[in-house]
Amino acid sequence: MDSILSIISVQTLWKISLFLHFVVAVALLAAITLQAALVLAPSPQVAGAPAGSLRPLLLAAPSATLIVILYLVQALLGAWVYVKYRTYVRIPMEGLRHWWTVGAFEFKEHVITMGLALLPAYWYFWRDPASQQHSTIRKWVTVFLAFSVWYGLAVGHVANDFRGVGS
Amino acid sequence: MTQTLDMHGRVAEVADYQAPKRASASQAAVGSESKLAIFAITFGIAFAILYTLFERWNWPLFTYHPAVNRLDLFKAPGVPEDGPPMFWYGWVVLSAISATVVSLIATAFSPQALQRITVFLCVLAGLWPIFYALAAVIDEQASFNAEFLRSVWTPGVPALAGALAAAYLVSPASAARVWTGWLMIMPIGGLVILGYSLKEYFLK
Repeated sequence: MDSILSIISVQTLWKISLFLHFVVAVALLAAITLQAALVLAPSPQVAGAPAGSLRPLLLAAPSATLIVILYLVQALLGAWVYVKYRTYVRIPMEGLRHWWTVGAFEFKEHVITMGLALLPAYWYFWRDPASQQHSTIRKWVTVFLAFSVWYGLAVGHVANDFRGVGS
Repeated sequence: MTQTLDMHGRVAEVADYQAPKRASASQAAVGSESKLAIFAITFGIAFAILYTLFERWNWPLFTYHPAVNRLDLFKAPGVPEDGPPMFWYGWVVLSAISATVVSLIATAFSPQALQRITVFLCVLAGLWPIFYALAAVIDEQASFNAEFLRSVWTPGVPALAGALAAAYLVSPASAARVWTGWLMIMPIGGLVILGYSLKEYFLK
């Protein structure tokens, strides 16, 4: 840590961390949203889906593994920048009586944690996407993860607007 | 021709000789597959319940004080000069470790026994806060002194009775059908409880 701080300032380190958190969030959001939309949409009944369609790529086991990795990386980055939020953002937020933002952020901790809890099951259900055995629960676990990522990004964005990168 | 037939016969013999080995390998694969499923599904259910409990009871494995960069074991609010304590890391780590242990133990059970145990524990986890909330309402409305209802253990008695009844009465087919469903019910139920506990922020 000291070697990093000898090159860049503490403020820059936090800004880079927060920006990385945002970049991974966008990547995760794109992947999980598309996957959730595809599992919710009725499967195409006619043969000859357009070549290069995203459907087989997103509804495959490697995509789910990638989403699990992105979710874990994102949670770790979130846990890292959470330190700065607790000391640098939340205290003035409380001082200015932004209670809804504080409450929504507290709830974000819980939503993301529940998403973490479901990751092993999510990964397991997506090992064999063609299997009908767990198709319903696979769908809803995917939707739950998509919801958790959307909620996390929305609330994180509000907190960032209060005191973060570019605010 | 005779040699060819003989060779076919030997190949068939070799194939037959290897059949039990293949069947045994296949059974082992199915066994490890179901153990993996049991671990993954139990982990999700147990983590959701345990995290909700640890958060509500405020049982972190450790407390982090970001202002002074100090880590204390278990719950340690510290002095005001240390700045705000952070418990979330401690809840998550404790929940992850506990859920891993629970899930590993779960793999030792047969699926039928595990599904029945899951019904018992999940119904208990669901009924306890319901009876607790009900007891609080009765205590508020009652004309007599119902202070004993405020104890966290009092609602545990009817919750335990309900969970035992559910686990006893549920058919193996229903327990199996609902088993993966707990994966959605428990995290959402946990979020309802945790979200309700944050209501003060939204009512200020």
